[in-house]
Amino acid sequence: MKRLAAAALAALVLAPAALASEQHPTQRELERELVCIECHTTLDESDSAIARQMKAYIARRIRQGATKSQIEDELVDQFGPGVLGVPRKHGFDLLAWVLPLGGIALGAVALGVGARRWSRVSTEPRTGRGSVKELPLDPEDERRVDEELERFE
Amino acid sequence: MRAARVLAVGAVLALLGLLVWDLAKGDGDKVAKEVNRGQVVQAPNFRLPLLNGTGHLSLAALRGKVVVLNFWQSYCHPCEEEAPDLVAAHEHWAGRGVAFVGVDVQDFKGAARKFLARYGVTYPIVRDGPGSTIGPFGLTGYPETYFVDRRGRVVPPHVVGIASRDELDTGIRRALESA
Repeated sequence: MKRLAAAALAALVLAPAALASEQHPTQRELERELVCIECHTTLDESDSAIARQMKAYIARRIRQGATKSQIEDELVDQFGPGVLGVPRKHGFDLLAWVLPLGGIALGAVALGVGARRWSRVSTEPRTGRGSVKELPLDPEDERRVDEELERFE
Repeated sequence: MRAARVLAVGAVLALLGLLVWDLAKGDGDKVAKEVNRGQVVQAPNFRLPLLNGTGHLSLAALRGKVVVLNFWQSYCHPCEEEAPDLVAAHEHWAGRGVAFVGVDVQDFKGAARKFLARYGVTYPIVRDGPGSTIGPFGLTGYPETYFVDRRGRVVPPHVVGIASRDELDTGIRRALESA
């Protein structure tokens, strides 16, 4: 219950910030998130000619009151989805999120199953074929063991 | 356990497939390298939207004509310097079995259209916003010009930087003479 309340509180705190970012994006956040199509670094790290053009375009669209999504959509229309620093969470791009997370989940399951099997094998008594208990001793060995033990009596 | 093994083998094969695909894709600068060595190579095809018209243009559709393929950007100063000679060459060679095609790479549409209006470019210009032609043609900067013969093959010379009027005429003649 406490966790649920904490999650609800976090959502209440973060939602207005996300909405503000969507409605009134800043130059800095967009430059940190969008990629220079020519140099493949984020815009804030690039000073190439096209990066300067992209920065000027973003500044102009912010002044005109465009939302973050609008600016991103317009740049994707100009240069393709490569301008987005991170893939979108819908359509085909969703695969970029789902596949690695799915891989991690599968790996975790495989590790869990493996660990469980391993721990079962190492803690269960060995009663199967080939176990130490069932190995018959050679009569000669048995005689030698008895002799050795007699010495300690 | 058997299913896990099949899954693991499948994953490894998929990764290998990706590696092979990436290596094959990375071999794109072959055109520039071979043409610079004097070889004639098949031109990589493209189908891109027209900037100064409607619909798309594919290079393969121009088979039977010599094509002057000029890669440019509106904010590239050498491209501005080169534009008048390209326009003049286009006017000279138009109607002689020679087509001019400009490929505007990684550029803003508005800026590119202003460029065309400023220099009076009337030949078809296609837009390559994401830069999909860079790898296949092995572009290293702008402008760059290739000459494609009637059979769709790139013939030398490959002009890196500003193509002078003489270089344009020489390239066109060599493409016309190419068997």
